[in-house]
Amino acid sequence: MAEQEPCACGLILRMKNCEDIRRRLNLYLDNELLGEDRVAVETHLRECQSCAVIFEREQSFINAIRECRPLHVASPVLRARVQETLSGSERETTTARKVSRSRLTWGLAIAATLLLLLLPIVIWRTMSRSDKPTASSFALMAADHHLRRTRGQLPLEVETAAPQVISDWFANKVNFSVKLPNYQESSGQERLYELEGARLVGYKDDYAAYVAYLMKQRPISLVITSDSVVKPSGGEEIVARGLKFHYNAIHGLKVLTWSDRGLTYALVSDLEERGQQSCIVCHQGTKDQDLIAPLKPR
Amino acid sequence: MDASVNNAAFSQAALAHIDALYGYAMTLTRNATEAEDLVQETYLRATGAANQPQLNGNLKAWLFVIMRNAWLNQVRHDQSGPRFVELELNEQTDDARGNPHVVYLRKLEREQVRAAIEKLPEAYREIVVLRDFEDLSYQEIAMVLDCPAGTVMSRLGRARAKLRESLSTWQSKSRARAV
Repeated sequence: MAEQEPCACGLILRMKNCEDIRRRLNLYLDNELLGEDRVAVETHLRECQSCAVIFEREQSFINAIRECRPLHVASPVLRARVQETLSGSERETTTARKVSRSRLTWGLAIAATLLLLLLPIVIWRTMSRSDKPTASSFALMAADHHLRRTRGQLPLEVETAAPQVISDWFANKVNFSVKLPNYQESSGQERLYELEGARLVGYKDDYAAYVAYLMKQRPISLVITSDSVVKPSGGEEIVARGLKFHYNAIHGLKVLTWSDRGLTYALVSDLEERGQQSCIVCHQGTKDQDLIAPLKPR
Repeated sequence: MDASVNNAAFSQAALAHIDALYGYAMTLTRNATEAEDLVQETYLRATGAANQPQLNGNLKAWLFVIMRNAWLNQVRHDQSGPRFVELELNEQTDDARGNPHVVYLRKLEREQVRAAIEKLPEAYREIVVLRDFEDLSYQEIAMVLDCPAGTVMSRLGRARAKLRESLSTWQSKSRARAV
């Protein structure tokens, strides 16, 4: 750093300039000043003897330091070690590139072979899927709740065998009307199933109605929601009496989903065939046979 | 350009800075063996680095950054603290081929300067080496030290002032002994 010595230039303005210049001497000597700044220092040093003396002293000092270069020299042993490191790295890089290129070639060949082998399988799987589309989230949800019910993990919120009680219970809890038919009572036939009760289940940030039945000690679940929440989709499509049913086998359970009069239903059971027998919870009259018959596997 | 040619060119360009790197390593470690290891480590890291600079770019400053980071990592892992070892003063340079009397005086002067540098606090010693011995610009030094260029300027000024003070004292004593 330049020493702060009195400037001999006399004038106050000049004095200010000398201070600025002396502050910049190190920058000048270190080649950090460019253009006009550099010219300004050189011009001033030509005109101001006092600053020129300080500059020469500073320059001599820095030169004395720089004349000591090099401060240290790497030994031949170190140089040889580093050369070995560098050439080793070059070899490794070249080898790695060759291996990489070789791997790439083999990789492409293997990939092409696998593609040829797997392509028919992929096509077959895709076609299979189009034959048997995956189950909808609604069907999966219904099957999941049915399983939980069978495991005793889904307690009912209302336990009753009276369909009207259940309909009333849902009245202010869901934004659709749940009307359960009572064919057994009206037909006077043998009781083929029992109504156990109902509860709310969550689906798509809303509530769906869950109704539990029992047929010869085998549980049947009916899940109902508005068709504005979900439309039935996926699975095997079966048309019966103008309704389109979607059949899925999920975890060994038979799941039928369909929409009718603004509601979407899912009926889950482990009954035989497609579980079409479970339809009698609502359709057990002889007039409904034309609805159930088409659901049987051909 | 072929990759192997690039590698060879990089190796050659990097090797040209071995003395500078060793000098800086000596400044950092103050121990010849550790300095050699640090140089080796620096080259290893440099060859393995994915962001190697262009050969016409600032390779030297980049190598210094690698060295400093390697050293800082080493210091963090080794809690033995700073070590103070005498700098080697018996290195032969081209000056040995000159006039014996001039060689003697210059060697004496060099030893004075070296001794004065050796006495500088570590941060001052480092910045003097980077600027006056290795010719790095303020911006390059800022990159190596990971600090603003303004800090480089002020620290370098203080380091030189300290060095001048140290050398002035020695010169005064020498004059007094001569009288």
